[in-house]
Amino acid sequence: MHYLARRNWLVVCALIALLALMAGCAAPTASDTSSETSAPTDGETSADSSDATRLIIAQTVDLEGLEPSEVNSRAESNVFAHMYGTLYEITDSGAIEPYLAQAYQVSEDGTEYTFTLNEGLTCHDGEPLTAEDVVYTFQRAADPENGFTGNTAGFVLDALGYADARVDGDLDATIVINAYSPIALGLISEVYIHCKDYYESVSLEDAAQNPVGSGPYKFVEWVKDDYTLLEKWDEFTLRDATYDELEWRVIPEASTRTAELIAGNVDIITNVPPDQHTAINNSDAATVAGVAGTRRMYVGFNQRDIFDDTEGGLAIKDPAVRVALQYAVDVPTICQTLLAFDCERASSMVNPPNDNPNLEPYPYDPEMAEQLLDEAGYPRGDDGVRFDITFQAGRGRYLNDEAVVLAIGQYLTDVGVNTNVEILDWSSEFVPALRQHDVGPLYFVGTGGSTWSAVYDMADLSEPTGATNYTEWQNPEWFSRWAQLSETQDADGQKALVDEMLEIFYNDPPWLLLYFQPDFYGVSDGVDWTPRRDEQINVVPAKPIN
Amino acid sequence: MANSASLSTTDDAVYVTDREIRLSPPWWRKAARSLAAAKWPILAIVILLSLMLLAVFAEPLAPADPNRQNLIRRLQPPLTQNEDGGMEYWLGSDGLGRDVLSRLIYGARISILVGVMAVVVGGILGTFLGVIAGYAGGRTDDIIMRIADIQLAFPFILLAIMVLVVLGAGVLNLVLVLGVGQWVTYARIARGETIAQKQKDFVDSARSIGVGHRRLVLRTIMPNILAPIIVIASFNVASVILSEASLSFLGLGVPPTIPTWGGMLAESRDQLLGGYWWLAVFPGVAIMLTVLSLNILGDWMRDFLDPRLRGR
Amino acid sequence: MGNYLIRRLLQTVIVIFGVTLLTFFSLHLAGDPTLLYVSERASDAEIAETRAKLGFDKPLSRQYIDFVTNAARGDFGNSLRTRTPAFDLVMERLPATIELTLFAMFVAIVFAVPIGILAAMNRGTALDGGVMLFAMFGQSMPSFWLGIMLILIVGLRLGWLPISGHVPVLQPLFEGHFMVAFENIPGAINHLILPGVTLATFSLARNARLIRSSMLEVLSQDYITTAKAKGLRTWTVVGRHAFRNALIPFITIVGLEFGFLLSGVVVIETVFSWPGVGRLVFNSINQRDIPVVQSAVIFFSLLFVLLNLLVDLVYTTLDPRIRLS
Repeated sequence: MHYLARRNWLVVCALIALLALMAGCAAPTASDTSSETSAPTDGETSADSSDATRLIIAQTVDLEGLEPSEVNSRAESNVFAHMYGTLYEITDSGAIEPYLAQAYQVSEDGTEYTFTLNEGLTCHDGEPLTAEDVVYTFQRAADPENGFTGNTAGFVLDALGYADARVDGDLDATIVINAYSPIALGLISEVYIHCKDYYESVSLEDAAQNPVGSGPYKFVEWVKDDYTLLEKWDEFTLRDATYDELEWRVIPEASTRTAELIAGNVDIITNVPPDQHTAINNSDAATVAGVAGTRRMYVGFNQRDIFDDTEGGLAIKDPAVRVALQYAVDVPTICQTLLAFDCERASSMVNPPNDNPNLEPYPYDPEMAEQLLDEAGYPRGDDGVRFDITFQAGRGRYLNDEAVVLAIGQYLTDVGVNTNVEILDWSSEFVPALRQHDVGPLYFVGTGGSTWSAVYDMADLSEPTGATNYTEWQNPEWFSRWAQLSETQDADGQKALVDEMLEIFYNDPPWLLLYFQPDFYGVSDGVDWTPRRDEQINVVPAKPIN
Repeated sequence: MANSASLSTTDDAVYVTDREIRLSPPWWRKAARSLAAAKWPILAIVILLSLMLLAVFAEPLAPADPNRQNLIRRLQPPLTQNEDGGMEYWLGSDGLGRDVLSRLIYGARISILVGVMAVVVGGILGTFLGVIAGYAGGRTDDIIMRIADIQLAFPFILLAIMVLVVLGAGVLNLVLVLGVGQWVTYARIARGETIAQKQKDFVDSARSIGVGHRRLVLRTIMPNILAPIIVIASFNVASVILSEASLSFLGLGVPPTIPTWGGMLAESRDQLLGGYWWLAVFPGVAIMLTVLSLNILGDWMRDFLDPRLRGR
Repeated sequence: MGNYLIRRLLQTVIVIFGVTLLTFFSLHLAGDPTLLYVSERASDAEIAETRAKLGFDKPLSRQYIDFVTNAARGDFGNSLRTRTPAFDLVMERLPATIELTLFAMFVAIVFAVPIGILAAMNRGTALDGGVMLFAMFGQSMPSFWLGIMLILIVGLRLGWLPISGHVPVLQPLFEGHFMVAFENIPGAINHLILPGVTLATFSLARNARLIRSSMLEVLSQDYITTAKAKGLRTWTVVGRHAFRNALIPFITIVGLEFGFLLSGVVVIETVFSWPGVGRLVFNSINQRDIPVVQSAVIFFSLLFVLLNLLVDLVYTTLDPRIRLS
């Protein structure tokens, strides 16, 4: 008995030690900003929009951080765009309008943009927002010390040719770029302005946890992998937001998102799979809102020499083959069946209406494809196969991507191009290969486009050795005109050049042109909100319906 | 089974081995009473045999090419006829217009292959290491059992994900991962049994008359450990099939051009809400039938094959 | 006893060391993750610079030694993705996962015991058959499928329980907000039921079978027969003697059960958008966020080993015949 008692005591000690270990480990991580742990929406009662002016939006992935200069995903930019203001703003229709800045001027040579801020702006900590803060925002993003790699530092400043920024007056800030760029204003509109005093005083780590914004909504709380809560900041007068609070939930599984929407627990969901549209529309709680997106989905023909030892890699170096394959894929049917959307096939890499209206999209004509392949010197062999080719894609990135890729593989195989589809993990396998231009020889990808500029859409292929020229397409006609484009500042001249270039693209296609990806949102019937074409969620204009 | 379970098959079986086998009275007789019919194991065997026949003769049996798509005819319900009045889709078509029945038949091939092969890999590896550990004892035993501890302490799903992400998903890699994930179970049985046998007199006498180590192991020890290992293996085939489904859900199953039951189930998950029940029900039923049959068979075999239990 | 503990702890150290080795090398086998952490337009020089900054330019053996020495001091490095301490990222999500796992364990054990006993006591009846059938089905459903089904039926169609999401209890408790934690309990349990049951179903089925066969074994023992012959009532026999002894084999699996349920959380957390470690680790593996994966794996291995040590200790108190050696 004695012996047993001692052992019991030991067990209790071990148990306490284990619990202490768990508690001890968990305790120091408590974020000191969120003193209250507020429960998220109560699942039992359906959150009809009248009961609270909280709008709940469910996205697929969580934020990685709250650093305004480090935008890594669309999910982040959606949240940031409500927390931070930008100098100018791109509207739904693709117009670029004043936002934090009320006006801007461009220097004669097009390399200096001077913005005049609205008066009386402040950041969320009460600090006045002046030209100094704008300049600081740009300099901080560009500072290699900070090592930012997201959208602002990794794409915008680079594409902009950012050189410097300077203060020209209390409300006047000037952004200096290396050379004239027709897309400068739009790019600058992607930079989230934040205040100097706060961001200078905190470390990068703290800044990424405790943001101080400059836009219509103020940061409240971020519970990782769960939700981000914002509240309306009443002192922001440039926009008139309706909802008092925005809750950005993370729900990775599509069925769960849809179930929550139909149950009335969330108001807006992103990325609704096409086969769930009926379920949502038939419910009396929500409707699917689809928009023709701007993301250009295509099959790239990687023309690098590394594929020369494969039949397919060699074949697609022939422009005639690349044209022939355009006829092999029935894009409208793919849209209708797999994407639940009537789409017009893309005729170029530029989003309508900025594209060349004279170019007819390639029709689906498998006989034409076969005839052209025969003529190009790739007849069907005894086994019916012209050549084998590998077609790679990442998984789960785009709307119904796996099905689309398999369907394209089938269409190509049907015209005698024996296509071996490989589905890779998106971030660990596909992206690294894509970046090193090792992917393919056929690969499926979609690159973000714009509603406001043809040149922005074409910037993927701005130089023959460019990082985003994944196919290493080398058409000299195209690239020589690119130089001319940066010298042409009048709109008509630009338009003429763009149309010429798109025709070159059409006749020597580096891409198998597909479609502009539609975006599907599920919207509660209690909310009046219209999605935008550019994948950006802007719920500032959203209103409850009573 | 929950994928939790399926993904750590080791734990499941360890426990089954260490305790249940030795302690439980014959299931067969109880089954005869409790399920009111002794036909269950026979039914299980019939089901498993027919599934195997399906797998082997998939080509002649399947009505269509399992990968042949027809976008226009996607998501057709079961018993859809074509224009001539013939049966186009017995069990409906999937999101790409592929024939569900044909995919099920071909899927049997890969699902069963993966299940059986993974168990064979794990069984051979585990038995081998277990016998060595038990027979050699000392330092060798220590090292092998420490490796087993490491494996047990490592959350299996993380190991599986890591290895599959690194090596890439494919049938062979899947078999290796799921196989290696179970060796500890077999090693523990083999080790314990080897130690028990080693202490018996006839082993000593065999050795004293010059019987070699290899012969000793093969002739005296192996026959004694085979029975529990076969029993565990039958349970494990079931859990491996479920693991495959869970890995497919995480995008780590076999490539989408190779139909498997787990893969079909995982593909159908976005369509469950749309009322396309046949996409989930048929592969689900196939998995359940197989797992159920294997479990029934395993229970029965535990009783019949393990000599220690027969007399009880 | 003391010697035994020391030896077990030493073994634990060896096991954890092995786990670090396994994690480290299997993650690095995939190659250099630098490319995932530079901007798309980065030049070769920038890539090399980032590589040096992340420490991936050093020889692998050197990297491993650095990692182990730092880890021994409690420093698991910063997440490559968020640049915050990797261990903190794991700890932030830990309470949610612990809640889910403990709840599932509770369901899997507390419900299994009466079900198993009832089946054993009514051996051969329809009740027994039903239990066995349930056990078989419970062990033959992939969890993601069961989870989505429960969401669609119980959550959406019937509207009985919340579909997804998490109400924290442990987190405020650790932070010292006791009131908040207690207030949250009803909501938390409400949200726990669907994911918890999904996670527990397999174990519940298995445990019920185990308890049943274990009980049957004990009930056939001589001393039980003797007890019955002495005129003790059936339930007294079951409660006093049979159950206690039937529990012994069951206890051994409790430790394993924890590790076993942890393995399932990756899928469950995804289906029910539960903000736990499983999703973090899965995403981190895909993103090659090596420090995060390492901290999580090491932490869980440690937890698993210690828990099993604890179970062994409990085990010996229950069954004095077993000597620690």
